[in-house]
Amino acid sequence: MKKNNTDIELLSAYIDGELSPAEKKYIEEKIKSSLELQKELSDLKKLKELTSSSVNRISESPFFETRLFANLNAESQSKFNIKKWIPISSLTVITLALMAVLKFNPNLLDDLIKQQKSNLVGFYKENLQPLLYAANLTNEDIFNFAVYQELPLDKTNNQILKLGYDPKGSEFFEIKKANQINGADNLQKFVTALDFDENEIKNIDSIIGSYSEQISALVLVNNQNAVAINPNIWNTRKIILADILAFAEKHASSNFNKMIPTQKMQFDDHSIAKWVNEAKTIKDNQYIFCTSDSIFKEDYVFDMTEYEKNMEKMTEDLAELSEQKAVLREYHFKIDSSNNKQKKNSGWTNQFEVFVDSDIIKVSVQSIAIDIPEIDLPNFDSIAIIIHEATQNIKSVRPPSSPMTVGNKSYNYEYNNVTPKNKRKSEVNLDSLMQIKNMQNDKNRTQQKDRIKSETRENSIQFFYNDSLILMQNQELKKEMDKLRKELQRFREDFKEPQNENNDTIKKDSSDDVEIIEI
Amino acid sequence: MEHEQKENMQQPKILSLDDDFSLIKRFIDGEELVFNELLKRHKEKIRNIIYLTLSNTDGVDDIAQEVFITVYRHLKSFRFESQFTTWLYRITINKCKDHLRKKNIRSIFLPLRDEEPVFESINEDTDIKHIVRNAISTLPDKLRIPLVLKDLDGFSYQEIADTMECEIGTVKSRIFRARESLKKILRPLEKELML
Repeated sequence: MKKNNTDIELLSAYIDGELSPAEKKYIEEKIKSSLELQKELSDLKKLKELTSSSVNRISESPFFETRLFANLNAESQSKFNIKKWIPISSLTVITLALMAVLKFNPNLLDDLIKQQKSNLVGFYKENLQPLLYAANLTNEDIFNFAVYQELPLDKTNNQILKLGYDPKGSEFFEIKKANQINGADNLQKFVTALDFDENEIKNIDSIIGSYSEQISALVLVNNQNAVAINPNIWNTRKIILADILAFAEKHASSNFNKMIPTQKMQFDDHSIAKWVNEAKTIKDNQYIFCTSDSIFKEDYVFDMTEYEKNMEKMTEDLAELSEQKAVLREYHFKIDSSNNKQKKNSGWTNQFEVFVDSDIIKVSVQSIAIDIPEIDLPNFDSIAIIIHEATQNIKSVRPPSSPMTVGNKSYNYEYNNVTPKNKRKSEVNLDSLMQIKNMQNDKNRTQQKDRIKSETRENSIQFFYNDSLILMQNQELKKEMDKLRKELQRFREDFKEPQNENNDTIKKDSSDDVEIIEI
Repeated sequence: MEHEQKENMQQPKILSLDDDFSLIKRFIDGEELVFNELLKRHKEKIRNIIYLTLSNTDGVDDIAQEVFITVYRHLKSFRFESQFTTWLYRITINKCKDHLRKKNIRSIFLPLRDEEPVFESINEDTDIKHIVRNAISTLPDKLRIPLVLKDLDGFSYQEIADTMECEIGTVKSRIFRARESLKKILRPLEKELML
């Protein structure tokens, strides 16, 4: 079979004319002697004819050359097209340049970041002003700060600075929105409860007022919505409280002990002075800046003396501005908490722990506070209730009405004074020292208020006497009174004459017309 | 005298062997416009080789473009060791092989199709040439290409061997096997085809 296939393979090459002369001679002899090869040869020839005749030439492509030369031109252009290498080469050059710069100056990026940070810090440190001037802190506010640990930052928006202890016992302060800022008369309640006299009230006011400057330098604000808080505010608050309580204990020890019976702490000038000194030893030029986009700690020296000079100048300017009816700028603290998940600055979180939420910034102060014992205070609202009950039991005493003198003769008109129908007998619990003192203190308070308003009263009196309308009314009243007097005289004379004749009738008539006339 | 006669005989023989050489030399010397002449001379032959090798017209012109771009790119490095056509056909066959290989790879990832019947039932209108071309197209590439080059393009075994870069005996064997396969394929239609 293999031999047969070889012969047929030779036949295939034979019909193609591809055999050597020797192979050709060999196969031709084979074909002559073999019918099978003859038939195979015939089939192969027919197949070759079929395959050769099956050629179907493809039609010419008229635009072949045009297309080819277009491709060749495009290729030659793209071969020398430098443009496509420009981005890659420029990127490579920039990368190499950056690598070289960073190799010789590895701190470049850090320096840049530091510079940007300092620029940002500088921006927020600009034009810082004490809170006292911005928020108009009163003695009441300072008292509330000392006692209730709340300092109003923005009274319009109820935004407060709150100091406190976290569950771990470490101290913190937070800026947040309060539902309600503490009542405006806590200091008054305190003074009333302790039964201070006028001088003592002056003293306590001056004590509290003396701290206002110190607090003002501890909380600074500016028009970039930045609030800079000195962590020393915690100690200052304790010192104020201790000072107030020490004064209270010294000048009203009995009431003070009633008010704070469990207080074992002895306040004396020495210990307070010691705390004040300790507080001063704390580095007080470090502020925690709460800004709209970051919270950071930064050294900042606030020169109060220079600021006061500026303030004097500003006050003059303000006076001019007020004349021009210029609108003064208001301070609002807006805290953006959108970045509250940003990485903490581990460099100073050992000292401070910052928590930011949608309406609160809380900074925990852990290591800066000096060791001043915390003082337990009663709730002054509860004292207020006692005061209120006491005053309910005291009848209000009014001075008697002064008689009105008209003309040369004096006529006493007894007016039915409008007195409360529910007249109650005065019931004063004399055993309650607190209640009596409260009453006196009420009086003192009134006097104090009068004292405060003395200036305005002078103005009003002046205003009163200068009022021509009232003067005119008084003159008219006098005229009317003269008329009345004359009529009464006439009436008396007329009354005397017919009295003898128709005494009963007149009496009857007069009883109808005139109800009560006592002369 | 005999020497002169030999020289006279050889020179026209060289020129007649491949006139393409003179054009290529001019091209190498910088006369690139002569490429247009080479193109005109061989374009249709190349297109038909591609057409017969692929057994369809799809992509014929694209492959032919690639062939002549390659020729243009490498013509200056032509070494005159073989005929230009041999080099040209080798490039063409290689391009066709590349195309067929890519096509086969693509077909792996294409969804399966119902196999179309290679041969339609013979009727009066059936074209015998079409049947034979279909039968040739079913042959494997290594058998089909030498057969096509021999029977359809009229190549010699040597030219086929040079083009396909194989031995002449291999060409002879492959053409024989191609014919045997073709006979088996066409055997059902033996009577109609008068085989």
